[in-house]
Amino acid sequence: MLYLQLRGELWKLFGKKRTYIGFTIILLTQLIVTVVFKYTRGAANMIRTLEGNGYAAEQFLSGLTVATVMLVPIAYVLLPLYVALIGGDMVAKEAEDGTLRMILARPISRVRLLIVKWLAGAVFAVLLVAALAAFGVGFAHLFFRFGSLFVFIPGELFSVFDAADGWQHYGVSNTLLMVKAISIMSAAFMFSCFNVKPAAATILALSFFFVNAVLQEIPYFRDYRHFFFTHHLNIWQLMFGQPIPWWKVGQSLSVLVAFNVSFLVIGCAVFHARDIKS
Amino acid sequence: MIDLSNVSKRFGPRLALDAFSLRVPERSIYGLLGHNGAGKSTAIGILLGQVWPTAGDVRVCGFDVTRDRRHALAQVGAIFETPAFYEYLSGQRNLEILAGYTGPVPRQRVAEVLNWVGLTGRETSAVKTYSHGMRARLALAQAMLPNPRLLILDEPGDGLDPEGIHEMRQTVVRLNRELGLTILFSSHLLTEVEQICTHIAVLHSGHKVFDGSVAETRNSRRLVRLRVGDFDTATRELRQGQLITSVTGDCVELANDIDTPEVVKRLVELGIPVFEVTPTRQTLEEFYLELMNAGRAAKN
Repeated sequence: MLYLQLRGELWKLFGKKRTYIGFTIILLTQLIVTVVFKYTRGAANMIRTLEGNGYAAEQFLSGLTVATVMLVPIAYVLLPLYVALIGGDMVAKEAEDGTLRMILARPISRVRLLIVKWLAGAVFAVLLVAALAAFGVGFAHLFFRFGSLFVFIPGELFSVFDAADGWQHYGVSNTLLMVKAISIMSAAFMFSCFNVKPAAATILALSFFFVNAVLQEIPYFRDYRHFFFTHHLNIWQLMFGQPIPWWKVGQSLSVLVAFNVSFLVIGCAVFHARDIKS
Repeated sequence: MIDLSNVSKRFGPRLALDAFSLRVPERSIYGLLGHNGAGKSTAIGILLGQVWPTAGDVRVCGFDVTRDRRHALAQVGAIFETPAFYEYLSGQRNLEILAGYTGPVPRQRVAEVLNWVGLTGRETSAVKTYSHGMRARLALAQAMLPNPRLLILDEPGDGLDPEGIHEMRQTVVRLNRELGLTILFSSHLLTEVEQICTHIAVLHSGHKVFDGSVAETRNSRRLVRLRVGDFDTATRELRQGQLITSVTGDCVELANDIDTPEVVKRLVELGIPVFEVTPTRQTLEEFYLELMNAGRAAKN
């Protein structure tokens, strides 16, 4: 039964053209970033930093490094936007279109319906990150050779890995990026359960995300940054640390699980209390 | 099949339904009548567990909808005034998705239902290419998928052309007669309700103002159509003689215990030429309008 219902939700989700907007824009962005990196002086800073620290830049200017560089703008801006768009649509769009009434004329409980819908949203988030990870390295290797991985985030991270280790870190980092995508989708999903338009649910989720992101960067809040949702969403970056701070990863994962459960419970409670009318 | 007991629903300060009780017997076709905002859709929403009642008990197929909707709605099909589908998916895919919320439905059953409503051959086309009539038939197909015992139709004829309305009416009667389905039918189309329903309930501003068989609505007033030489004098004299109670158009309503021959006898005694005296039945429309007027008068 759960399989049938999930299959139905996925048919609905992937039957819509707007579901593919995120995939298209992210893949286009990756292609553009790769080309710019190859044919402009985009790599100059990176080469300077590597050589300044005694590394042979040639060895680290690889497809894997470029794919990782591309992760940053996508993970901070595009990914939240597109998962929030889908999460915000999940319930509110059906309510707006009238199909929710058709579903709720059937003997399915509201909580079960929401769980199935949330699972479908999570599948979307996972597939979007999987696509960006796969196409990222794919595009980058069209223009750059296979090689070692170099990750540099000013003031936060300076790591070098050989090719084998680099692939592992890239894979695990993208897996944790999936957790970030699912968490933002969950926030939008929660707002979608309220009696609001789909666009409003998306905007509310993005506002929540960006307000958190801005507040945690204000010096006054620096000591309290572990209270912010966005602080824990960045665990994917920790995977490029040397060594990986597993304790921090575990802590952030636990907090994100708690956030996700809270979003789902609030969504269920609000949706359960609602009257569904035409 | 349906048992609503003292069900009330309040939306903020507005009382949408006030102590509404309704028992729909098995295999009946029950019409739910009322003007816009009378509470019909709210009652249907409550029956389907989509709207929470403020007070009262709601039982469908023997189960409490608010506590056990899984069992209550297991054998219920519903159609709404504007059937909404996933426009970008095919009719067949829509049915498969909606069926999934009830339970596993074999592909053969989906094909059977599509054939039954006459959509075979168009089942793989996107719903956005369907005409209004085809959408109505797809709505019927989705309602029929779980082999229902009870069909709830919320103004299913809305937006259909006369041919579509006729087709819908024939289908409802067929479902009741051939498959023994109980049908709760809300509609504005009084002639439609009169033709197919066995019972009706009439709502006015959230209050039930009538509940009974369609036959009762016809027998509620004994009317006689009069064609006489001087209609005004005739009705004045009949009224004075307490033989009639009211005049509506060319019809008079007989007083209690008075039969048509006594009216004719009195007219002959008065020397008024009588051309036609025809006992006639009150239409549902007349009955309904009378109830509405009474409801409005009571409110004022």
